[in-house]
Amino acid sequence: MIISRLEFIHRVHIDQTTLDVWLGEQWLLPNRNLPDLEFSEIDLARASFILDLQQDFGVNDEGVGIILDLVDQMHGLRKVLRAVMPSSGDDRSD
Amino acid sequence: MKNPYEVLGVAPSASEDEIRKAFRRLAKTCHPDLNPGNKQAEERFKELSLANEIISDTEKRRRFDAGEIDAAGAERPRQQYYKDYAGDRSRAGHPYENASGFSDFAGADDIFADMIGRGGRQSRRSRGSDLNYKLTIEFLESVNGGKKRISLPDGGSLDLTIPPGIEAGKVLRLRGKGSPAPGQGETGDAFVEISVSPHHFFVRQGNDILMTLPITIAEAALGGPVKVPTPSGSVMLTVPKGSNSGTVVRLKGRGVANQGQVGDELISFQVMMPTTSDPELDAFFAGWVPGPDYDPRRDMNL
Repeated sequence: MIISRLEFIHRVHIDQTTLDVWLGEQWLLPNRNLPDLEFSEIDLARASFILDLQQDFGVNDEGVGIILDLVDQMHGLRKVLRAVMPSSGDDRSD
Repeated sequence: MKNPYEVLGVAPSASEDEIRKAFRRLAKTCHPDLNPGNKQAEERFKELSLANEIISDTEKRRRFDAGEIDAAGAERPRQQYYKDYAGDRSRAGHPYENASGFSDFAGADDIFADMIGRGGRQSRRSRGSDLNYKLTIEFLESVNGGKKRISLPDGGSLDLTIPPGIEAGKVLRLRGKGSPAPGQGETGDAFVEISVSPHHFFVRQGNDILMTLPITIAEAALGGPVKVPTPSGSVMLTVPKGSNSGTVVRLKGRGVANQGQVGDELISFQVMMPTTSDPELDAFFAGWVPGPDYDPRRDMNL
């Protein structure tokens, strides 16, 4: 599903300035289908995660960047681990 | 529904600050995106969020303390968590994928290139940009594997090893072959998406190769040895006596070898009449009386 910039701002409840900061930090990597941006559901879920970190946990901007990077590394490792352990976790809905 | 003060482990007289601290301390241990492997985390986090929502809000807390609302509060519907996308094994890949957690493993590039699938849509922080290319290879190259050199628009070139059995749409990663980083960061990677041009008689289905083999009416009627192409060269096959168009025979292990598994080649016969009239054949059929059992349209009740 393709989500436009305006719809994205509306659904995440952030303003354009905040989005620009997030894009500048590369916390979000939407498709750049010039002249505009195209967001998808993974971007939406990632934005909710960023808001949780900032609002619920009081993480500052430097912290958000570090956490996102580590979380992405963890997903990369989980994917490889899952691939090398084909018998485990097939029926789990994690 | 549990008492929100108990859920957060604070006294009913706790200050706003104490409540916030208690929530943060507990929530970070069970936020689903910080604990993607913990199946209980999501339920527990929901419970904490709900409790926090009630007693971190002065007005809601007053109403709860006064007995005006119960602990169920107003449950906030939650959209999906990031882990549901980032950890979704049915997704081909996403722009946030990050291999730096294992990129120092020996041979990781070759082994994991396929597993990681497609990398970033654009550069990650402090790294050079990843560059995306598309390459169309011949059908037989995709089955048998091989080496390719791609010429780049800037005059450079990329050497690529095509693993045997590669499927169309797969993306190969060439580490460090993307753009250099603007600062001191790592050079980006090159991603090469593979397309496969169709073969004029082989078709791939999973790891099996399908093909239609034309045979003569004599081969169909009497059976006999014929030469059959396979992706790794020709082999001899015995056409069973009385084969029809559409009869399928299987050449075991003559399909695609792909990551330790080998498919078969499935050969479907097509009986061909001579393309030019053959007086001898015509004379034979004119004098031939088919047996009573030979009625190919029997099931049609004509």
